[in-house]
Amino acid sequence: MQREAAIREPLILGNKSYKDITDDVVGPIQGPAPIGWKIMITISSIIAVYGVGCILYLIGTGIGVWGLNKTVGWAWDITNFVWWVGIGHAGTLISAVLLLFRQKWRMAINRSAEAMTIFAVIMAAIFPGIHMGRIWVSYWVLPLPNQFGSLWVNFNSPLLWDVFAISTYFSVSLVFWYIGLIPDFATIRDRMTKPFAKKVYGLLSFGWSGRAKHWTRFEEVSLVLAGIATPLVFSVHSIVSMDFATSIVPGWHTTIFPPYFVSGAVFSGFAMVQTLLLVLRKGMKLESYIHVKHVEYMNIVIIVTGSIVGVAYLTELFISWYSGVEYESYAFINRFSGPYSWAYWIMMTCNVISPQLFWFKKIRRSLTATFALSIVVNIGMWFERYVIIVTSIHRDYDPSSWGEFYPTSIDIGVFVGTLGIFLTLFLGFARFFPVLALNELKTILKSSGENYKKIQDKH
Amino acid sequence: MANTKRYWSGLDELHETEAFKTIQEHEFPESKSVDEFLSDERLESTHTGRRDFLKFMGFSLTAATLAACETPVVKSIPYTNKPGEVTPGVANHYASTYYDGQDFMNVLVKTREGRPIFVKSNATTGIGRVNARVNASVMSLYDSARLPGPTRGGEASSWESIDAAVQQGLSGAGRKVLLTNTVLSPSLLRSIETLKANAGVEHVAYDAVDYGAFRTAAKLDFGINSFPSYQFDMAETVVTIGADFLGTFGDSIFYGERWAKTRRPENGWMSRLHAFETNMSLTGSNSDYRTMVKPSEQGKVAAALLAAISGKTASNGLSDVTNAAIAKAAADLKKSGAKAMVLAGANDLPTQRVVNAINAALGSIGTTVRFDNEKSLFQGNQAAFEQLVVDMNAGQVSTLIVSDCNPAYDAANADAFIAGLTKVGTSVSTAMVADETASRCGMIAPNHHWLESWGDLQIESNRIDLVQPTIAPMFNTRAAGQSFLTWSNSDGGMDWYTYLRSTYNGSYSADAMYTDGAWNEAVHNGHMTLGDGVADVPAYIGGDLSVEMKALNGRTGGAFELALYQKTTMGVGQHAANPILQETPDPITKVTWDNYVTMSHSDVDAMGLNGFIGQEAPASLVKVYVGDTSMELPVFPTPGQAPGTIGIALGYGRGANGENIGKAAFQSGESGSFDTDLEGNLIPVGANAFGWAQSNGTHVNYAQYDVRVEATGGTYPLACTQIQNTFMGRESIVKETDFTSYFSERDTKKGLASWNKLITLGVHEDVNADGTIDALDNKPTAAFDLWHEHAVEEVGHRWGMTIDLTTCTGCSGCVTACHIENNVPVVGKDEVRRHRDMHWMRIDRFFASDYSLKKGEEEGTGVIESYRRMEDPALNPQTVHMPMMCQHCNHAPCETVCPVAATTHSNEGLNQMTYNRCIGTRYCANNCPYKVRRFNWFNYPGYKKFGNFNPAQDSLMRMVLNPDVTVRSRGVMEKCSMCVQRIQSGKLEAKKDGTPVQDGSIVTACAEACPTNAISFGDLNDKGSNVQSISQNNRAYHALEEIGVKPNIFYMTKVRNVEPTQA
Repeated sequence: MQREAAIREPLILGNKSYKDITDDVVGPIQGPAPIGWKIMITISSIIAVYGVGCILYLIGTGIGVWGLNKTVGWAWDITNFVWWVGIGHAGTLISAVLLLFRQKWRMAINRSAEAMTIFAVIMAAIFPGIHMGRIWVSYWVLPLPNQFGSLWVNFNSPLLWDVFAISTYFSVSLVFWYIGLIPDFATIRDRMTKPFAKKVYGLLSFGWSGRAKHWTRFEEVSLVLAGIATPLVFSVHSIVSMDFATSIVPGWHTTIFPPYFVSGAVFSGFAMVQTLLLVLRKGMKLESYIHVKHVEYMNIVIIVTGSIVGVAYLTELFISWYSGVEYESYAFINRFSGPYSWAYWIMMTCNVISPQLFWFKKIRRSLTATFALSIVVNIGMWFERYVIIVTSIHRDYDPSSWGEFYPTSIDIGVFVGTLGIFLTLFLGFARFFPVLALNELKTILKSSGENYKKIQDKH
Repeated sequence: MANTKRYWSGLDELHETEAFKTIQEHEFPESKSVDEFLSDERLESTHTGRRDFLKFMGFSLTAATLAACETPVVKSIPYTNKPGEVTPGVANHYASTYYDGQDFMNVLVKTREGRPIFVKSNATTGIGRVNARVNASVMSLYDSARLPGPTRGGEASSWESIDAAVQQGLSGAGRKVLLTNTVLSPSLLRSIETLKANAGVEHVAYDAVDYGAFRTAAKLDFGINSFPSYQFDMAETVVTIGADFLGTFGDSIFYGERWAKTRRPENGWMSRLHAFETNMSLTGSNSDYRTMVKPSEQGKVAAALLAAISGKTASNGLSDVTNAAIAKAAADLKKSGAKAMVLAGANDLPTQRVVNAINAALGSIGTTVRFDNEKSLFQGNQAAFEQLVVDMNAGQVSTLIVSDCNPAYDAANADAFIAGLTKVGTSVSTAMVADETASRCGMIAPNHHWLESWGDLQIESNRIDLVQPTIAPMFNTRAAGQSFLTWSNSDGGMDWYTYLRSTYNGSYSADAMYTDGAWNEAVHNGHMTLGDGVADVPAYIGGDLSVEMKALNGRTGGAFELALYQKTTMGVGQHAANPILQETPDPITKVTWDNYVTMSHSDVDAMGLNGFIGQEAPASLVKVYVGDTSMELPVFPTPGQAPGTIGIALGYGRGANGENIGKAAFQSGESGSFDTDLEGNLIPVGANAFGWAQSNGTHVNYAQYDVRVEATGGTYPLACTQIQNTFMGRESIVKETDFTSYFSERDTKKGLASWNKLITLGVHEDVNADGTIDALDNKPTAAFDLWHEHAVEEVGHRWGMTIDLTTCTGCSGCVTACHIENNVPVVGKDEVRRHRDMHWMRIDRFFASDYSLKKGEEEGTGVIESYRRMEDPALNPQTVHMPMMCQHCNHAPCETVCPVAATTHSNEGLNQMTYNRCIGTRYCANNCPYKVRRFNWFNYPGYKKFGNFNPAQDSLMRMVLNPDVTVRSRGVMEKCSMCVQRIQSGKLEAKKDGTPVQDGSIVTACAEACPTNAISFGDLNDKGSNVQSISQNNRAYHALEEIGVKPNIFYMTKVRNVEPTQA
């Protein structure tokens, strides 16, 4: 068994036994749904249904129901897409990269972070689909052999790279998440008394019997998948950034985009994890497992990535001036002083200034402050994408076509709707899935549990 | 030897048994009747179970359903007897002539399968070049508001009934009057003569926009009652005082082409244009020197010019700036002498007489201003018309025939006319639609559309232009001339065509219908010539003008003055129901679907009105008072508008009482219904300002010297296609210079002249071979390339275009031509306001700004504030009109980003769009530096929002769609295809002839429509082609050359004939 330095803060608080962990996680699944959960899922489902309605109206009528125009061909659609994909990144980073780096604290948060990743990627995938003028032929972006003649996709197009990047990312994340769930599903199955639930969890657990061989294979697969998923953390958002970086639009055509987008993605993803988990631990009484230390660790990631993002913003500004390119420099002057400067300054405030507050230990370890700032970062990162997309194209090369973008109620409805769908899915996850990685937590109970640490200290 | 072998099918056949014989006889069993079949008792023993029944039912139902699910079948019916000249899929062209009282020109009408679908200039045999209005007029043929037959009291009626009623009316006592616009048709005049002779009818003509003072002045000064013939191709200096001769003034369709001939710097000289005007007009925006004057000052300018030319000076109350401009103009005029021309737009006798005196003093009568070949246009007699209205109100007019005019809408005293009309016993109109006047007449005897009728027109004394039908009359209509003959009981059984022929051949009979060679040639060419015309230069007999000068110099105006003008797109309102013209942006303001008050920025700021009009930034409403009448209109801040003046366009507010003049004339709502006011009346597009034209009893002047403008606090959205007015100092988009600078470097090689320097980038190699690598080592941007070079030069065709910014006047003829040729969707005001206009060809209009980064640096303003100030145009700016469409880049940024390769490059240099493959990601549009790609945001041919104006949604107007071009569905991108359908058919023709494609045999719609030949199209790989040589000219450049997309469109540096600025 591993031993951990006594000076390290315990990761599991209180006097927990293996059974307590199982009870704490599986108990809520077995028990009746709490009233708070019912209220929340009702609200989120109503929003989700409204969003679906907006999407159907959009598909039935045409892209014109959004506020886009001849100059601004992408706005909220691609902003939302990049925002949601970015949010997804935290889950993969936590479960894959931190696994490779043997960060034990990830064990309390990786399950829900991964769930968030899956749901966020689903939300993200909605937008490239519905932003198409003709969604019914969207399968043409796949390199399918066909009878239309020599029609083939255009491998030069970054949108096509996107298709591959997102689909790969989604499938790997899903498999990785599910593999981790198998032993926990088996635990639930063993504790379930109702025959139907027992049957369902039995099916979900793929006949897991907890044999040593199963565990060995489980560990091996997890490691392999972590290896596969790690490059994806960097590749997906790099490729998403190339949607912009490979274009010739001033403000998009920027070589620092890949690293800048990846760190932005991790930044926003951790903020979203914070937002969700701070509610989840309270609602499901998981304070012993997700506590201040975890929050602090995540806030440190937020400071680091937020600072990288801030440096990237300043680099862009510097290069736009240093390049001497008329259009490039105007694009950035327009960003901070033009009609959308309010969005730029929201972005700067939320993404560059606000995370720096986490340098103060008090703030870093304050749950309330963390929750508030995580929301601020989420808003800021949405505006980052909005600023990049809209302020670049609304005034590009030809001044005669300069224009502005005004969102319609459908723009707002679709975005809010995806928030509703996402929350509905996440609430469903919280109700029926093991929200903590049981089997993994149990491996650190004796090394990092508070009472075990105390026992260690005595000896 | 015959084959005697026998084959048999069995032993029965071999032995020919009885049984076999029976079977052979009954080889086909006799069919049983249904009754017999059903009565067969054995059936009862058979068994179809419930399940089988359900199976059969289910299958049949599914099969039937599936069979019904086919896409609707549209049947095309073949000809039983195919007309010899019609080949399906091949267009025919017929020469004809357009005349609507304002515009006159020879045209070629393109028909497909018997349908006229396109009107263009008759460039080979005709005169005049098509403008936006004439070009788009083909739409009116298919207007579903056209009357299907004669009406009486608003109800459908018969010709017999109408004729009897009119004849009865004509047999009565009282004044019997025929009211028309200027009639140019000799045959129609002949038929009117029969009305005069047989029924005692008087003929009164008036014009929607009166030019009476021009004729009166010519009569007084030269003894000739003629509209002046302006010879712009002869003029070296032109001074216009409020005459928008490139837009709507006079017979403007002749002017642009001729003026442009003097604006080619390659000639080694250029004419110079001075403009003194109130509103920023198309002409003013193309002038070299433009001075803002109020309407009341225009006469003073003329007087001051006359004084300056005759060497006198007099105090005139004009500003120093204006006087300096007058002095400069006078100097230029004197230098040019007989090759100078002065013209004024005001229909004001003193002004016109002074202008005549100037031209006479300059000696330009007979060279630039001619009266010898009498112009028949604009013969309206305002005094007679006003007397008619008085008589009508006095109840003295018993019968009124209204033909080809709409006084209830466009007369200054329309209200009096309408009141008088109710007192007329018998009133009949020959209008095609129940317009403002016709709907108030007792009867309507609808005339043919001009594309359906024979006609003749005489615009000058020595030529007759012919109108020939290109389609059989679609409705139960009758030529107006035929109606006149019938009503005067003098048709003698002759139809209108025979009558028309007999005008030119007294002994014409139907036998000679096809055998008159001269006539056939005239019909083929669209005109015939009658001798050489008169060549005498009239003597100036004007005499002393001191009274006129005094009158002009004594004019004063109030705080605001009003100048009424016509929009280049809308004319006098005859095209109000034409959705394409409504959607074509005004060349100056770029506003569609409305008229408004144009006001200087300084006045807008002073009144606290909205200075920026955008999607969500509506215009401020003001109330304009003239005397005791008022009108509420939005204000559009217009650079170049003289401070202290406002302008309002005529030609709007048609159908203000809900007259059914065509759906596009009214404002539509979001759901496809018409907008209505509180009382449920339809709301017309814009407001009618004809009531404010000022008549002095003989002439109408389109200005008011004292108006009051009050802000109401309300707002009104305006749909504008371009909201950024300046080009922000981006000199790689617009290159311009002055003629002196051009001339001094006219022989430099392309790319070296200071005004068109090739853009280069520094490289790290010793390009200039001076032994060091330094800042002097540059390569043109064309040398840098990400891609493998794909040979385009000298391989097959490479289609390209050149656009001369010097001669482009911004007239928008190319915009409408492209619109019609390519079935570009009409999207309506709300969508244009949302910045979603679909024009493939647009004209970017840039105003110059007073500010620049350099100036900002000198003044220490800082770059951010400098850029902000550069967004604002100057108060009286110079203007550039820049046609912009797909540049067909050889390294097109749109092509690489499409995930499904829906936009690709052809091996002939075209950037082609495959609608069927497009999935609508819009990435291509985002990545297009010229922003020329247009997305189908809705299903324009089907969605309810566009039902009232999209031609594809009207079962009749759909006929105008070009069958060679796909109507795009929703969700796909579209853009200029360089008229690929014309390229393909041109190549096919050449292939059939077995010759290479001849330069000029393929012309795009825009190039064809361009009245000044600013646009040329051709094969850049054809060494002898026009575009090839123009593209090698040292004025040629690529817009945004430094981004390296290598377009196939070349722009030609704009050269203004102004004094060089101190750089």
